[in-house]
Amino acid sequence: MIELTDVSKSYNRGKVKAVDGLTLTVKPGEIFGFLGPNGAGKTTTIKMIVGLLRPDAGSVAVEGYDVAKEPLKAKQVTTYVPDYPAVYERLTGLEYLNFIGDVYGVPREARLDRIGRWLEIFELASVVTNPIQSYSHGMKQKIVLTAALLPAPRVMVLDEPLVGLDPRAAHQIKELFREHCDEGKTLFFSTHIMEVAEKLCDRIGIIHKGRLVACGTMEELKSIDRTEAGQSLEEIFLELTDK
Amino acid sequence: MSGLGGLNRLSRLATVVRAGLRSNFGLAILKHRLFKEKKDRWLVPVFALAGLGVLPTLYGIVLLIKGAYAILAPMGQERALLTLGVLAGQLLILLFGIYYVISAFYFSRDLEFLIPLPLRPSEVMISKFAVIMINEYLTVAAIVLPVVVTYGVMAKGGIGYWVNAVLVYLALPVIPLALVSLLVVAMMRFINVSRKKDILILVGSIVLIVLALALQIGLGRTAGPQPSAQAVTAFFTSPDSLLNRVGSKFPPSIWATKAVAAGFSSEGPANLALLLGVSLAFFAGIVVMAEKLFYRGLIGLSETTGKKRRLTRDEMSRRVSSGRRAVAAVFGREWKIMNRTPIFLLNGVLVVVIVPVIFVLLANMGSGRGGSGGGGDLSAILKTMTSANPLFAILAAALFMTVCGSLNGTSSSTFSREGAQFWISRVIPVAPREQAAAKFLHSYLVAMLGVVTATVVAAIVLHLKAVHLAAAAGLALVAGVLLTVVGMIIDLARPLLNWTNPQKAIKQNFNVLLATLADIGILTAVFFGAKALIKAKLATTVVLGVVFLALAAAAALSFGILLRFADKRYPEIES
Repeated sequence: MIELTDVSKSYNRGKVKAVDGLTLTVKPGEIFGFLGPNGAGKTTTIKMIVGLLRPDAGSVAVEGYDVAKEPLKAKQVTTYVPDYPAVYERLTGLEYLNFIGDVYGVPREARLDRIGRWLEIFELASVVTNPIQSYSHGMKQKIVLTAALLPAPRVMVLDEPLVGLDPRAAHQIKELFREHCDEGKTLFFSTHIMEVAEKLCDRIGIIHKGRLVACGTMEELKSIDRTEAGQSLEEIFLELTDK
Repeated sequence: MSGLGGLNRLSRLATVVRAGLRSNFGLAILKHRLFKEKKDRWLVPVFALAGLGVLPTLYGIVLLIKGAYAILAPMGQERALLTLGVLAGQLLILLFGIYYVISAFYFSRDLEFLIPLPLRPSEVMISKFAVIMINEYLTVAAIVLPVVVTYGVMAKGGIGYWVNAVLVYLALPVIPLALVSLLVVAMMRFINVSRKKDILILVGSIVLIVLALALQIGLGRTAGPQPSAQAVTAFFTSPDSLLNRVGSKFPPSIWATKAVAAGFSSEGPANLALLLGVSLAFFAGIVVMAEKLFYRGLIGLSETTGKKRRLTRDEMSRRVSSGRRAVAAVFGREWKIMNRTPIFLLNGVLVVVIVPVIFVLLANMGSGRGGSGGGGDLSAILKTMTSANPLFAILAAALFMTVCGSLNGTSSSTFSREGAQFWISRVIPVAPREQAAAKFLHSYLVAMLGVVTATVVAAIVLHLKAVHLAAAAGLALVAGVLLTVVGMIIDLARPLLNWTNPQKAIKQNFNVLLATLADIGILTAVFFGAKALIKAKLATTVVLGVVFLALAAAAALSFGILLRFADKRYPEIES
């Protein structure tokens, strides 16, 4: 579960308000899609959830742990995939996965099982002993996703996870997301691909100029007064963010 | 080409060069941070203080040059000082040049944006060359400027001296850099080294260090021990004989010397023209070569390397770790990344091993032939000094070991080296104090390696008794803790994380300079403390005991501060 309570964050000494009074709860077992135009505050929100940025006001809790007050407990149950796969290029894929397994304390048997499975799914098995430096952008993205799945976290937070993936990998990732949440775990991700959000997410939030302008299931979004019946998510998004 | 077309090309070249300089030196970012965000204003007084800290060292160098001038001038050999300054500067350019050239020409990330633009290969290469030139001006300033300025003042140089000095300084890096560029570009084109770029940088650097050493030792030998009385008289009565001997290895240094020393009169203009003409010819050479070879060497650089091979179930089972403690995992990461990144390796493990070895070579230079050569004298002087006073011997050896072990960039770039990957350290469930402890272990291991090498060297050069060596090593090891922690605290206060070229994280990292100054300050304080104890006529063991305990207390205290500072600082670093 992720709980954001009246969270605000600004940059440049308060001159640029990136997130403004955001309150949001993502329940266990839920895939939550976070949409918004460029610069709307998506990445800032995500970074506050995983503890990379400190809110100016409000609080963020993951699985009941306050991210600011109990950071280690919150981090132990969360994994994160950033929008750009900046990973240790001088390590091999397997060394990176071992490092993540060590710091999250993943038991050896579980580690062997999961690494074997994800490497097969992402077609990384034949390059896992090569330095990450030699991977393509998509392969780096896949190794970061594998590392995020390795601890089997209660909460996964992903910033545009499908960018750079080939259609097969994107398809598999969507299935993995569903599987993850069917086990009662939480998944929060941002995306610009409306179709993915519409088909995959249990609930969707739309952020615009730092404020949450809409939040709910597809049906709930469609029933917002201003929208016309039968509108697609794309049309709803364009209407809500057209200011 | 029409005149207008030429102008257009020039203005395009100027644009590319300007963009290269701005992006490399981060001027736009600095301006934004200083004047818009007003974030880094505190750095201005720190820079000023650091500048003041360098003054005593600079003053010492100037005194040394003045002394040498006073000795050489009556013999008509004073110009050799200029030659030495220029030659040392050019050697330094050659040494640093290989890192700069390889990483700027072939591995800077902006190449992927520059190559698709409608620019000529030579324009891209010139913009990179300009960035390296500026870096080199800054690198050699510390060596060349004190010599040229002190000489000018002592020799009462006229306007010709100063004008030519500026022109020579500007031209100084061109020939050595062009030589390195020609070598590197040809190598990249004709040998398929792109896939082994790490090894290339490493081997290239070591070869150049060895060459520089060979040249140094060669010069020492040319100066020759035990010359006959007539030879000495002939040598010193012929003006500039020393200049010619010193500069004979690299003629441009002779031209530079004559151009500066003679100013506008006699041989000045001709030598200046020769230096500038040859520099221009070399520059033209790399422009022509860039057009023909530069892009061809670049093709294939971004290809995927490494063979594809699936691990068997057994292999996978062996290679999947059975679970290390977090501190061990972070330590392992530090160790692997440092040793697999050539620039980091050269400034860490290699430097702590090479520096003491260079010291042995220099100290023993000329020995074996009567021991009266320059370096042989050094070794003999050291032996005499240390055998007369064991306390002095122990303290001097401890200082040498500490300098060899701790005055490198390992600890003061430990956070900066993470760069764009710092987010991983921020999101993993490992307490910042544990991560800092793992980083300390890594930096301290490198320092210990330096202390061990330096101990071996001290045993060879100083012939210390085992018990004295052990005492010195003990002091160096405890001082190493303090200096390592100080370096880490400085880097943690303001880590440089936004680099795109690893060279920036360690070679162009202000924290490394700041930590070096802090280390010098600490060692100076320890020196004065020990001096006071010696003056108080305390027994050797008491002096050593007090110094050891004081260092140990400071080390323990600083380590505690580091851990608390890590807990406070990690969450503040927004990445």
